[in-house]
Amino acid sequence: MFDLRLNGVCKKYKVGAHGNSPKRWYRSLVSEAPPVMWALQNVSFDVREGETLGIVGHNGAGKTTILKLLSGITTPTRGEIQIRGRLAALVEVGSGFHPELTGRENIYLHGAMLGMRRSEIARKMDSIVEFSGVDRYIDVPVKRYSSGMYVRLGFAIVAHLDPDILLLDEVLAVGDVAFQAKCLERITELRKSCRTIIFVSHDLAAVYRVCSRAILLERGHVLLDGPPREVIDEYQRMTFGTQDSSGKKFDPEKEAECLNVSFSSSDMGGIRTGYPMVAHLSYRAAEIIPDAIFRISLYWPSGYLCAQFTNESSGSALTLQPGEGSIDFHCPILPVVPGFYRVDLSIETNGRELDLKQRCATLCVETGKAAPGDFYIENAWSIRSNLPSIPISIAR
Amino acid sequence: MIRPANTPASPSCAPAEAALDVALWKGASPEASRPARRIKVIGPPKFSLGMISLGLRTLVQYSDLVYTLSVFRLYVRYKQSLLGWAWAVLQPLALMGIYTIIFSHVTTVKTGGSPYPIFVFSALLPWIFFSSSIGNAVHGLVTYPSLLTKMYFPREIIPLSYLAAGAADFCIASIILVGLMLHYRVPITWNLLWGIPILIILGGFAAAVALLFSALHVRFRDVGLAMPFFLQIWMFAVPVVYSVQSVPVRFRKLYLLDPVAGLIENFRRVVVFGEAPDIAALALALAMTIVGLAIAYGYFKSTEAVMADLI
Repeated sequence: MFDLRLNGVCKKYKVGAHGNSPKRWYRSLVSEAPPVMWALQNVSFDVREGETLGIVGHNGAGKTTILKLLSGITTPTRGEIQIRGRLAALVEVGSGFHPELTGRENIYLHGAMLGMRRSEIARKMDSIVEFSGVDRYIDVPVKRYSSGMYVRLGFAIVAHLDPDILLLDEVLAVGDVAFQAKCLERITELRKSCRTIIFVSHDLAAVYRVCSRAILLERGHVLLDGPPREVIDEYQRMTFGTQDSSGKKFDPEKEAECLNVSFSSSDMGGIRTGYPMVAHLSYRAAEIIPDAIFRISLYWPSGYLCAQFTNESSGSALTLQPGEGSIDFHCPILPVVPGFYRVDLSIETNGRELDLKQRCATLCVETGKAAPGDFYIENAWSIRSNLPSIPISIAR
Repeated sequence: MIRPANTPASPSCAPAEAALDVALWKGASPEASRPARRIKVIGPPKFSLGMISLGLRTLVQYSDLVYTLSVFRLYVRYKQSLLGWAWAVLQPLALMGIYTIIFSHVTTVKTGGSPYPIFVFSALLPWIFFSSSIGNAVHGLVTYPSLLTKMYFPREIIPLSYLAAGAADFCIASIILVGLMLHYRVPITWNLLWGIPILIILGGFAAAVALLFSALHVRFRDVGLAMPFFLQIWMFAVPVVYSVQSVPVRFRKLYLLDPVAGLIENFRRVVVFGEAPDIAALALALAMTIVGLAIAYGYFKSTEAVMADLI
């Protein structure tokens, strides 16, 4: 049974200034129709009950348009949308708040806008206030709130809507770490209670973790529909381009060049935290390169450098001979946590960079050994009970 | 790029396990008590009678929002003001004072024997309800564009909430009307009860005008710009500061075609003079209100679909 069905949905926007100036009228009389933009073209997909669908794509790919259509804010130009049950959208947290009203009053107002009855809101009030964590300021006008409090209150209301279908747009882009964790908790709970969720985010790791299926949108078309991992891989390939690493075209000007990188695990499973991994980098050198240094850099989705494989500190100089070759980096225990990492490749010699391929591949790390922090640390332990017990005092 | 030491790299990289063992959220209703789900179909906007009836049913579902929004509208309006609710009374009182000075001291108007202050106040009150509701409602949709582009609820609730707020102001200010009636010893008759249907029809007509103009205003901002001026002219086209008796007899039929003119004249007649209303004028106003509401609501609903794109 489907919860949502989009059938050949198209959405057209007129491009250019809004309004009805005489100039525009005149132009529409003498020339053809004003330029239009198809935000969505023939988009069709079903979402089954209990599914968590992630929608990824570049800015302007049509993600927000889909959410606007689903929530009824605007209507499709062509095609049809069927929605089964109560739908709640969190398109922009707190956008329905009135600055002059207090937090409590805004809960009533916002809740009513989302289709809740007053009695229902009154019943859930305490729970909403508690969830939001702004209980001390609940009777203060929201214009005095910090933006973080605004967002918390907005999400708290939506989290209590108890909808059949929940639409979330970039909710994780706002709020602090604790709030993001809370959002994800709530989404996970809803998933467990078999609610249908549509999740739009640029945080690919979150999409990968939360969603059971994903759709890749590009210029208003559904490019790919499938398991999150495949869709995210394709999206990252699209974004950062892998044509360089295909090894087919190379730059004859360069003395040396990185061609390709691949990652593999020793066993047949995927690359997992806490298990061995091999990074395989192929290169081409046009001449003899003395003291060559290879680097494979892994970046977090946030853009920070996470880790690097390099032969720099190995102590023995590496000299490349002309022609193609490859270098393997063996990592006995992969310490990075599950997620997607973007990969940079570089070759340098004596401090001079010969080649740099930025963001040319993606490393997808799957859940292996539990790593509740930023890294997995392989450790061994032992107990030594024969030591005299030393009273520990902690200065307060 | 420099990364400060010990910065948590990416909060989203927290493990999934942490999120899984969260106690089930308190307020969630058990699966069994969930109501049967209805299928809603969204298609390209098209005008039909079914759309209007669907719109009305949705409006009923959102009746709590109409109430909440209207209450807060009043609340916010008087919130950071020194005089607060007194403003609902001050505006008609001040106008009454000015018009009394002009039309009973500077020049005189035929009032049919009633004192000018109560004569003008009994018409100012419904007129202010009508004009201020419309004047506010027209701007309502464009004041908070984010409401239209980020959330969905039946859009007519925004202009209607201004109307409800106007009605509340009317109720407060009518205390002054009662005071004036007692002060001038106006005889209280059963005809006073006609005031209720008259006001309901006036409210309905105001709703029709507000819906039509606020929907037009989203598309053509000229509407909002012309509104104060338009309402000023309209006020002199209805018998507020003068009596309908001052209108030449041959124009009077045409004059009373404006339902607002007929309604305000009748309101004054039942309140100040204690006479029975002109039933023909009321029936005409009622008919025009019903037709007007149907047209305005239909137009509003057909524009609603594209409001978020136009604004």
